[in-house]
Amino acid sequence: MRRLALAAPLLLFALLPLGRLVAEGLGHLDAIATAEARRALSGTLLTSSGAALFAFLLGLPLAVLLVRTDLPARRALRAIFTLPTALPPFIFGMGWVALANPKAGLLNLALGEGTLDIYGSAGIAFVLGGCGLPLVVLAASASLERVDASLEEAARLCGAGPLRTLAHVSLPLALPAALSGAALVFLFSASAFGVPYLLGVTASPPTTTLTTHVYGLVLMGHGGLASAGAIALVLLTLASAVLLASRLASRAGRVRLSSGKGIKLRPLALGPWRAPLGVAAIAIAGVLVALPLGAVFLTSLEPSFGRLENLSLQHWDRLLHTPRVAEAALRSVGLSLAAAALVTLLGLAYAVGRTRLGNVGRALELAAAWPYAVPGTVLGMGLLLTFSMDWRVVIGGKLTFVLALANTLWLVLIAYTARHLAFGVRHASDGLSQADPSLTEAARVCGAPPLRAFLDATLPQLKAPLAAAFTLTFLTCATELTLSVLLVPTGQDLLGTVLFELMSYADPAAASVLAGGFVLIVLTVLAGRTLLVRRPA
Amino acid sequence: MAAVELTSLRKSYGTTPVVKDLSLSIGSGEMVALLGPSGCGKTTTLRMIAGLEVPDAGKISIDGREVDAPGLHLPPEARRLGMVFQSYAVWPHRTVAENVEYPLRLKGLGRAEREAKVKQALGWVRLEALAGRRPDALSGGQLQRVALARALVGDPRVLLLDEPLSNLDVQLREELRAEIASLRSRLGTTMVYVTHDQAEALGLADRVAVMNKGVLEQVAAPQVLYGEPATAFVARFVGGANVLEGVSDGTSVRIGATVLTCEAPLTLPTGRGQLVVRPEDLSVTPGDGPLLTARLFLGGATEYHFNLGEHALKALAPASAELQMGSPARVTLRRARWFPL
Ligand SMILES: Nc1ncnc2c1ncn2[C@@H]1O[C@H](COP(=O)(O)OP(=O)(O)OP(=O)(O)O)[C@@H](O)[C@H]1O
Ligand SMILES: [Mg+2]
Repeated sequence: MRRLALAAPLLLFALLPLGRLVAEGLGHLDAIATAEARRALSGTLLTSSGAALFAFLLGLPLAVLLVRTDLPARRALRAIFTLPTALPPFIFGMGWVALANPKAGLLNLALGEGTLDIYGSAGIAFVLGGCGLPLVVLAASASLERVDASLEEAARLCGAGPLRTLAHVSLPLALPAALSGAALVFLFSASAFGVPYLLGVTASPPTTTLTTHVYGLVLMGHGGLASAGAIALVLLTLASAVLLASRLASRAGRVRLSSGKGIKLRPLALGPWRAPLGVAAIAIAGVLVALPLGAVFLTSLEPSFGRLENLSLQHWDRLLHTPRVAEAALRSVGLSLAAAALVTLLGLAYAVGRTRLGNVGRALELAAAWPYAVPGTVLGMGLLLTFSMDWRVVIGGKLTFVLALANTLWLVLIAYTARHLAFGVRHASDGLSQADPSLTEAARVCGAPPLRAFLDATLPQLKAPLAAAFTLTFLTCATELTLSVLLVPTGQDLLGTVLFELMSYADPAAASVLAGGFVLIVLTVLAGRTLLVRRPA
Repeated sequence: MAAVELTSLRKSYGTTPVVKDLSLSIGSGEMVALLGPSGCGKTTTLRMIAGLEVPDAGKISIDGREVDAPGLHLPPEARRLGMVFQSYAVWPHRTVAENVEYPLRLKGLGRAEREAKVKQALGWVRLEALAGRRPDALSGGQLQRVALARALVGDPRVLLLDEPLSNLDVQLREELRAEIASLRSRLGTTMVYVTHDQAEALGLADRVAVMNKGVLEQVAAPQVLYGEPATAFVARFVGGANVLEGVSDGTSVRIGATVLTCEAPLTLPTGRGQLVVRPEDLSVTPGDGPLLTARLFLGGATEYHFNLGEHALKALAPASAELQMGSPARVTLRRARWFPL
């Protein structure tokens, strides 16, 4: 019974849509033979490999510098370089539009009109690569932190200078991890919707990707839905192939690292290279993170796009008094809170289930992970195809239950929850594995029945990981775009879709106010969390 | 009536048997120490009594009522026991007083009664002053006192302690050991005390149950255990005795190439067997026996190590200036036990 209760939502909202998408897609394979589909596929391959290459070439040396050397301001740099994971890529895209729009971009005002053009494949790859950079930096750092410093010291004793030591010893050790990080950047870029739409659709010639092509087909209404499913299936196949290849590659190329304990991490002295490399790293951080975010804020203060005189808060004031935006914000906050609560609760249930239910529990955990592992467009299409018609449950000849989700906010809530369930499961599992079982056993011996002991003694130990899952889900959902544009009911805008609409069509200043507000909220939450986490230590 | 009765208990993890056919009867108000080397199954036995593990076979009764038997398993919360864990297991999100209050809340006692009992229990372990503190502001010794108060506050039928002192430094350990002893004489609670420290077991318990590889080797009062070990394992584990295999002719024992002679009036059975002799029951004088390989000055006496082929022999004797490192000595037996093979 408990198994069924745990399995039912997954079957209905995660596995069924996947099956439906595959069935529908296979039935309309003619949709992938069109010229548009081929252009979209090559657009995805081009922008995603460009982004992966860019992130890899920049991320690997950065990780080495940040982890293994006495580079100045390492902690701050690390925080800045990982910031993009906490913000929607769309906001960085907006920043770059403000900076490098060929006509009115701020950089072009300084460098001369038309010097830089952010529109098109190269621009998309650049912006996505910058946003994906943390994936490479974090993966490479994690493996570098487990490398014994004596390997580098041995090279120094053999007469190699600091740069040569880094290039010949440290870099190769971090290579496999950086490569699998780059594969993740490829997946992240192939799944992206907002940035390719913003920078691709209006480029000349237009650049389409699989995700934007799916969106275009869905906009055509019921006729396009099946074709969109077929394109989403292509995206799913591509993503699965890359994921599989990177798993296999990382298994084959695994280096033997020190076992983890008792390693002394002595940073390598860069000597004369310390200052120039430090300046270079700070400059890169400035260009990739500070510059686009700053441009978003600046745009929100300009009287009109690209004009730097008479800065004022008039757009902020205007937007705060626009009922449509306020309603969308309210709706998004409500949906995100509900999704965050569901993700946390269900994640906890699946994590506990995994420890109690053996193989069934492990299967459930895997099923809970797939909606996050695949591109959001794939999940969105699966749900759209599955629930575009009503489900009538007839028991004993009597209509007992109608599941009419099409064009409702419920479907958006289901999509948000399914998509981020993996956060909840992972955080709760980590928390449970670190929880001290004797605290719970002590409660049992004191007279508490199992459920009471779980609530009184186990749950309080999971507060931090569950709060993290909640916050993470809430922040990601609040401006979610990829699923929202596919599933949003007509006339019930969400924050993400309003932002998307304002930016793509009408009002970049208003869009910048929204984006800027969101950046401020995220920065406040992150700063608050850092302070909270540091205090007890 | 026995407070705790274990009958033919068995427990395996996977295919490895951890507790094999263990029977033990603990009287009301008695304190029994479960003593044995690491991994011998002490914690597993204690956890079965607590109801945290289900035995594969055998029976457990508490106060004459069966709590574990084929087809029966009473969950821990229904056994009315107290337990003190090695890792303290004090809930970090509750204050000291709230920790101690928890079992009373579960019993559904009224507020006034709870407060009075918490105060009393904190008094037993001298922690009244820290009632409002959070556990992260307590030392290890104080945490273990909180755990003791929490385990005792509900008037448990049996108090189970799993190496309660092993996470503490030496001084705290002695302090808390004295405290447990005085609590016991004051409250008269039946206790099962798991430890691998023989001094703790011999000093605290009425009876000591020595476990080895899941089997009880001997259950006896500390003096009996020390004076009349039932097996060579007990003699070695409890008294630190030398256990040597050899052949006896009644007044001397041949171990490999070495002969150890008995001092009158000691005589031993003849034949093959295990010689069990404590270091302090050996006399050492210069002579033509085994070679001295190490000498440790311990203050009151000196510990001498001899090499007997594959065995090492330890003797404790007054310091002697005549014995040189690497020189032969004559070693004689004043008292010894013999276990025929
Ligand atoms: N949950 C478990 N799963 C598998 N094996 C276990 C489990 N718990 C204990 N064991 C094994 O059972 C044996 C006995 O364990 P137990 O904890 O009872 O020993 P112990 O006498 O308390 O030892 P120590 O003094 O080290 O605490 C050990 O070999 C241990 O590895
Ligand atoms: Mg133990």
